[in-house]
Amino acid sequence: MSRGNWPLDAMYEMGQFAFKEIGRAYTDKTPVVWTSAFFPVELARSLGLNPFSPEVAAAYIATLGFGEETLNMGEQAGYSRDICSFHRCIAGAASAGNLPRPAALLASAHLCDGAPLLFQNLAALYGVPMLALNTPYDSGPEAVRYVAWQMEQLWLNLAEITGQRPDRDKLAEAVCRSEEFRAQMQRVNDLRCRVPAPVSGNDMLGFVYLYFIGQGSREAAEIATALGKEIECRMTGLGRSGKAGIQAEKYRLLWMHLKPYYNDEMMKFVERSGGVLAMEEFSHIYWPPLDPNQPFLSLARKAVSHFAFKPINERVRVMAELARKYRVDGIVHFSHHGCRMASGGALMIKDALQEEGWPVLVLEGDCIDGRNEACGGMMTRMQAFLEILQERKLGCAI
Amino acid sequence: MITAGIDVGSLSTDAVLMRDGDMLSQIIINTGAMARTAAERAFELALSAAGLRASDIDAVVATGYGRMNVSFADSQVTEISCHGRGSAWLSPGVRTVIDIGGQDSKAIRIDGRGNVVDFLMNDKCAAGTGRFLEVMAQRLELELGELGREDQQATGAAQISSMCTVFAESEVVSLIAQGVPRPEIIRGLHRSIAERTAGLASRLGLAPEVMMTGGVAKNPGVVRALSEKLGVKIILPPEPQIVGALGAALIAQYKAPVSPAKR
Repeated sequence: MSRGNWPLDAMYEMGQFAFKEIGRAYTDKTPVVWTSAFFPVELARSLGLNPFSPEVAAAYIATLGFGEETLNMGEQAGYSRDICSFHRCIAGAASAGNLPRPAALLASAHLCDGAPLLFQNLAALYGVPMLALNTPYDSGPEAVRYVAWQMEQLWLNLAEITGQRPDRDKLAEAVCRSEEFRAQMQRVNDLRCRVPAPVSGNDMLGFVYLYFIGQGSREAAEIATALGKEIECRMTGLGRSGKAGIQAEKYRLLWMHLKPYYNDEMMKFVERSGGVLAMEEFSHIYWPPLDPNQPFLSLARKAVSHFAFKPINERVRVMAELARKYRVDGIVHFSHHGCRMASGGALMIKDALQEEGWPVLVLEGDCIDGRNEACGGMMTRMQAFLEILQERKLGCAI
Repeated sequence: MITAGIDVGSLSTDAVLMRDGDMLSQIIINTGAMARTAAERAFELALSAAGLRASDIDAVVATGYGRMNVSFADSQVTEISCHGRGSAWLSPGVRTVIDIGGQDSKAIRIDGRGNVVDFLMNDKCAAGTGRFLEVMAQRLELELGELGREDQQATGAAQISSMCTVFAESEVVSLIAQGVPRPEIIRGLHRSIAERTAGLASRLGLAPEVMMTGGVAKNPGVVRALSEKLGVKIILPPEPQIVGALGAALIAQYKAPVSPAKR
């Protein structure tokens, strides 16, 4: 696809970056390491390894329309339909030999406890080591030191396993780039407070590659910088559309968790109806600035500071803060079937945020597996929710 | 202003015509295999019953799962909003609507104007829906409309543990084989639906008054079982099946009138 076919120039750049890295994982001699979502990729990048996110690959597989057959392969390989479809899809693609062969698998247990278990199985399948970070459910100084110590040990182990030389300057450089990314994305998020929204959150959810796997790369920092400039340009009406912001905006939404990747019908329906994702939980910069002089401590602080890796009222507090900051009309919690971590508390979150005055829709669905869904039901829920917002906002009958 | 509401459901298609807040006609027909045709037929019958022509109608709102297939509608509104509006028009004190239709069930909380405040919807499986009852009636060699009457003859209720329609049907087969009287099986089935629906309504937060809409509300056995389970009196509209179409016709009053030539 040419640049003009992408909704944002920065997204085109991100696509180029992602395809280049994924392509290299299949063709290059550089050792490939698989990393789970939320694993500090800087550790792998600083060793010159090629990181590969199978979870992002699963989203691409679903987007390209190969989800169903890949999920079937995962189920035939023994993975129950009850577990996360991202993981079933990865298992299916791995069992078919469709993913790049890893030199090691790296997983962190925080926010997703399914990934380390899957990675353990896949490490056995490939006959390679699996290195795990045990992230405690605590964000105190002792927990930070404990995670930092583990990260350092893991980094040294990984260097030995892959035959790379651990270079602390390169690690500091990777953390420096991550900090640049953090600061630039914070700027992007600040720009997004504007009404009407200068950019669609549905498009922003496409930047998942940078958040999950781009960390520590020069490209992620550059793309984030370019994205900020592009949004600024849009806000002055000098962007590609020539309009300052999304003119069709009727309802501003805060979107929690991810979206269906197998089919864009529902997200397009939201956009057609004037719904704009003013902000997404996923895009929120929750972690404090990273200090390249203290790489392990910085990355450890980031790992333990995630608001969803705390008692549920912390996730509620952060969402309420975002809802206020982005002046949203309603909140949608997309409850991905397999994600117990996110969906387990959805109803409590709904109750708490409703008490603070926001209409909340818990939209049950699946990011990868379209076989579980009746699209009509999902659309009816979404349309009914938008009708509630219309009545509240316009103070008149729908 | 004359408006029309067309509710294209999975089992029935309903049409209501209204003039300035008064109901002119109401029609219920089977949806069959062609939602579009059913909508056109229901509209024609409603027009005929009211002695009107299509060009007399100022606005049409379509609702129900087939709402997008109603080509002559000016707009589409979900059945959730329509049942809310229709219920409030029928009984202004209603704050909770329980709608059990052919293929899903919903609990809807509304404000005094009939605006939806919150809702929950179950459409994951046929359990607790009209389709569930249809399958069971077939197995018990009864017409759907006879289930409520049979329930009244029961002296007890059989235990139906399964929520799933397929498994519950197997249970019914076993109960028949054991010689359990048919009315007791039916009461057990009704309690099973009530159990499931009460869970949905309680989760939403039950606020009186409670109205039940949709085709299943015509079954007094289910209504009684649900009322007992929830511990509240359930208000029934004169014709529960047309509440969605009624709400759609009411909402159509707020839609910009279109040129009569359009239809």
